[in-house]
Amino acid sequence: MPRNLLITLFLLLLGPAAQAAVTYQTPAEFLDFAFAGTPPEPQVVWLTGERKQIVEQILGHPYASLRVRYWRAGKRSAWILEEIGKELPITVGVAVDDHAIAAIRVLVFRESRGWEIRHGFFTDQFRDARLNADKQLDRHIDGISGATLSVRAMKKLARLALYLDAATRQDDVTPTP
Amino acid sequence: MSRQHRRKQRFKLKSFYVWHRYMGVGAALFVLIIAVTGIALNHTEDFKFDSRYVKSAWVLDWYGIAAPERLLSFSANDQFITLMGEHLYLNRREIDGNYHRLVGALYSRDMYVVAVNNSIVLLSERGDIVEQLRDSDGVPAGISAIGVDTQGNLVTAGSHDYYEADKDFIRWTRRPAGAEGVRWATAATVDNALADALRAHYRGEVLPLERVILDLHSGRFFGRAGPWIFDLAAILLILLALSGTWIWLRRRR
Repeated sequence: MPRNLLITLFLLLLGPAAQAAVTYQTPAEFLDFAFAGTPPEPQVVWLTGERKQIVEQILGHPYASLRVRYWRAGKRSAWILEEIGKELPITVGVAVDDHAIAAIRVLVFRESRGWEIRHGFFTDQFRDARLNADKQLDRHIDGISGATLSVRAMKKLARLALYLDAATRQDDVTPTP
Repeated sequence: MSRQHRRKQRFKLKSFYVWHRYMGVGAALFVLIIAVTGIALNHTEDFKFDSRYVKSAWVLDWYGIAAPERLLSFSANDQFITLMGEHLYLNRREIDGNYHRLVGALYSRDMYVVAVNNSIVLLSERGDIVEQLRDSDGVPAGISAIGVDTQGNLVTAGSHDYYEADKDFIRWTRRPAGAEGVRWATAATVDNALADALRAHYRGEVLPLERVILDLHSGRFFGRAGPWIFDLAAILLILLALSGTWIWLRRRR
């Protein structure tokens, strides 16, 4: 019995480090939230040519795929993007309205640390953030100690969504691989 | 103290000194291994030993690492899409990510379409991931086969029904015609040269360099007796330290 108790305690201690992916919100739920229950049909943008270079500049590396799916209705667009925090991708939903972030949510978190970025006290800082001429956020985002890499990933994805929102408003978004 | 006693003491010291030297020579090789691997382990991240893999065939053989015998492969556009373990390849190029349950692969609309992991991976002709389509993107659940119809549309056989994708693989609709007129992707046999190359690549992605350095450091690399031999070397080092100190103290007198 004491041995079982020890094993249980050990597993409990190990728990947070060994946790699997946690889905806080499904992409469908996020899209319903972003478009008040009536999401538009998805579209795709290819990350080729200049767009690819700018995306690399924002992320510091190429995006995981060559095309990204997005949803747009008028001035509002929604993006479901992924970026690696330390070792595993974090799935984030970003709603952009008139060139500013309307909402940013962690949808799926797979890392063992840094999950605090999902909380409102952190994500609320992005509200109304825009891109400046250097493709940086126009405001300072306070970090979270112990979640530096997740915070960094979130900031990159916020910039990426704002950039792609602006890029897909242009006329030349018709895909060519 | 008599002269005879002093001579006896000198002889004792000399004999101890000889033993000390033998112990030093005996432990030298182990000291080198432990010191070099210890320094390497302290800088694992700097030198990326945790993300670099051993390619040496004899080391991999020594660890008993073998590639899976069974290769599941599909031929499309004169290229092979192969799953080995959790590694997916377009010919010899490995695709980023971990995969399992390869259902089928084909070439459609200038892309390779690979059904795997209950999702569909779109690959460019170079093997770059165009997009990974999951159930949240509308991909039908429980895909058991993929194929193309006479118009070149992608068709999937699901657990209950048949679905087809639009030309951009974004929207999925139920296919009223079912399986009619669909050419399904079927498994193919890869040639021996490609199979050997994939097996060699697979083996070279399994054993991190850090593991080997750690095993050299602890002695486990040398088999079951290894840790005991290294324990013996550690005892030799302890004796060496004690005997060295003792000789130094005796000589000072």
